[in-house]
Amino acid sequence: MIIKFILNKKEVSIDVDPMKRLLDILREDFGLTGTKESCGEGECGACTVLLDGKSVTSCLVNAVHIDGKEVMTSEGIAKEPIGKLLIDCFDEPNAVQCGFCFPGFLVTSYHYVKTDGEKNLDKIKKSLSGNICRCTGYQKIFESVMLACERKPLMNANERE
Amino acid sequence: MKFYKPKSLLELFETSEKIEGKKYFLAGGTDINVQIKNGIIKDESIIFLNHLTELKGVLQSDNHIIIGALASFRGIIESKLLKNKLPFFQNSLQEFASPLIQTTATIGGNIANGSPTADVVPLLLVLNAKLKLFSKSKLREVPISEFYLGYKKFILKRNEIIGAVLIPENAETGYETFYKKIGSRKALTIAKLAIAGLKRISNNKIEDIKLAVGSLNEYPRRLYKVEEYLKNKTVDEIDFFELESQLKKEITPITDLRSDKEYRYQVCVNLIRTFLNH
Repeated sequence: MIIKFILNKKEVSIDVDPMKRLLDILREDFGLTGTKESCGEGECGACTVLLDGKSVTSCLVNAVHIDGKEVMTSEGIAKEPIGKLLIDCFDEPNAVQCGFCFPGFLVTSYHYVKTDGEKNLDKIKKSLSGNICRCTGYQKIFESVMLACERKPLMNANERE
Repeated sequence: MKFYKPKSLLELFETSEKIEGKKYFLAGGTDINVQIKNGIIKDESIIFLNHLTELKGVLQSDNHIIIGALASFRGIIESKLLKNKLPFFQNSLQEFASPLIQTTATIGGNIANGSPTADVVPLLLVLNAKLKLFSKSKLREVPISEFYLGYKKFILKRNEIIGAVLIPENAETGYETFYKKIGSRKALTIAKLAIAGLKRISNNKIEDIKLAVGSLNEYPRRLYKVEEYLKNKTVDEIDFFELESQLKKEITPITDLRSDKEYRYQVCVNLIRTFLNH
């Protein structure tokens, strides 16, 4: 089945098994290995990407579901102003330990900071509740996202979009 | 595996009729993909549904709120219509899976997966929801309380699908509400048990009460006998030994990897008490 979609702001098309997982398409067909596989069952969030601007676990999304849609991975987010801000904010308190969960956390927190962005610990915890860090560095992860929410209003208006 | 991507509802039924043997309808895919990974689904036919926009969305029609079977949980949680009309229903679903799963998982999928622990079903039971079932030549409405026949067994006929969920727009009006999902962790948990309740108190008496539980039977159920026992009593008049004997007629908790039957039973009793006393 031929599917067309927008991957990190570029139009792409690929002939693929309609059930192939988005996770595998990204890693095997496009070499985007920032998206990680951990549980493969939607429990851990290591494979989180944005699908039409909303965070999803790419291990549970089939090729057929991305036809005509827009996919953004951690690699794409790292080039966005809010993505860069978040990477700095994760870096400052040393929130990244082994790093395996980080791309997933980056995508989910990008979605939160971009669409909501309120510096509210409860809301941040809830929005990140689908991502697991087995180094258990949650406090620093929350701190990082709080910091990004604090700094977002200082960005230029066109960079916040 | 053979795949089908029908262009319309009509084509869906035509395709589905032609397929011999077992087939799966794939909506959000959050359960089916796990079953494929675990080798439970191997080479059965799969019919893709998720692109059929006619089965999506939340809208009002006469005095019902209609939720398309392919409405995602995120869509439900963010719906302004539900926020106005059925806020208890909407708020209770915040605990459904995780925000990531909410984006893709659908209400129709949660019902049709047939899990005894399906989060949305106890809520639909106390709200007197109906399911609109679609087939090629027929539309019919069935109360959700009559939809399940046994473990993963439904009233659905061959080539019939869940098209929409209908909830009376005033289903919550005038009721005190209660929803509790018990799990091992706060987020992304599969319920050990869940309970939904609505009650209306007048002159200290329980004028009306609706209770439904998940994970305590082979499918989620209303507790009609307990409700009958409680109606027209004040909280002080309730004999909890009698309540428990009614409850035992209606639930058959099991021991599994999430908890044992004694725990499930006791927590169910405690939660009913909490709801009655608050």
